[in-house]
Amino acid sequence: MPEPLDQEAYQRRLDRVTEMFGSMMETVEDLTTKRCPYKNKEGRCTAGFGCRNQRKPPQKGERFICGGDDKLDYRRAWEVP
Amino acid sequence: MTELKEVTNEFIRGEIDEFVERPEERERMISMFAACRPDMLDIGAALIEGEDGVVDELTRAQLDAGTEALEVMDDGLIAGMALVGIKFRENFIFVPEVLACARAMKAGMAHIEPILSDAGIEPVGKVVMGTVKGDLHDIGKNLCIMMLRGAGFEVIDLGVDTSPDDFIDAVEEHRPLVMGMSALLTTTMPNMGKTIDAFVDADLREAVKIMVGGAPVTPEFAEDMGADGYGKDAMECVAIAKQLVGVGSGA
Repeated sequence: MPEPLDQEAYQRRLDRVTEMFGSMMETVEDLTTKRCPYKNKEGRCTAGFGCRNQRKPPQKGERFICGGDDKLDYRRAWEVP
Repeated sequence: MTELKEVTNEFIRGEIDEFVERPEERERMISMFAACRPDMLDIGAALIEGEDGVVDELTRAQLDAGTEALEVMDDGLIAGMALVGIKFRENFIFVPEVLACARAMKAGMAHIEPILSDAGIEPVGKVVMGTVKGDLHDIGKNLCIMMLRGAGFEVIDLGVDTSPDDFIDAVEEHRPLVMGMSALLTTTMPNMGKTIDAFVDADLREAVKIMVGGAPVTPEFAEDMGADGYGKDAMECVAIAKQLVGVGSGA
């Protein structure tokens, strides 16, 4: 017998999602002190702005390679308009 | 004890095998995914891959076929996101991948929202969010949006480099209860105040509660510029938004 779709049932799902996302935010907090948040798992830059750490990709149209070493304050490399 | 081979989706089986290392968590993941129907596992797999188009398509097809919305949420979207959380915690994936998975989850939820509405379940509130004029940094805003949507808010994302006029147009069009502005730079932070001034000039300041946030923003600066709320991070953003719409106790 499926659970009825009501406010309480939905709220339980929202609470679960909020708890999961909350844990992820703790990881974000820790991770952003060590690694640029715009750098993806392939080490490519996903930022929509310039950064001095961006290195030319091997193929045209690909994302820039992140040349940052993650030891410096990466924000200093971001180029602002 | 349920065994990994009982998870019928090969991709998810591989993900558990490769990325879930803690024994109790592995057991929990195996037992959760083993109990899901193959169609739900397909949705979860697409979400883990951050494929929003596929999640969109599969979710719509399942709901059209009569699958209960809660089953899609539990066994497709939330189950997939649970594995994403583990991969992120263990540094197998990073913020851009998490945001892609959150976009995929939103693609699925977009089909569930009308069903919720038909059942008399409405969003907690509507929020318009944007990064201010001259600022192209979007990660903080995107994380706030992910948290807000996860907490049941409807969010209209105005993107980056949002002018005061764009904020005004969005508030007039969508009539949100709350508007959120983000800035990462000290040079663009004053544009938050300019946007609030533009709302005063347009006689719209009372039409919406305004919250602000971003690395250089302080509670004092937020108060000085006339904001209704300040959140130092995505968690506080949700607490402040709830407070501003009159749900929960806030931060």
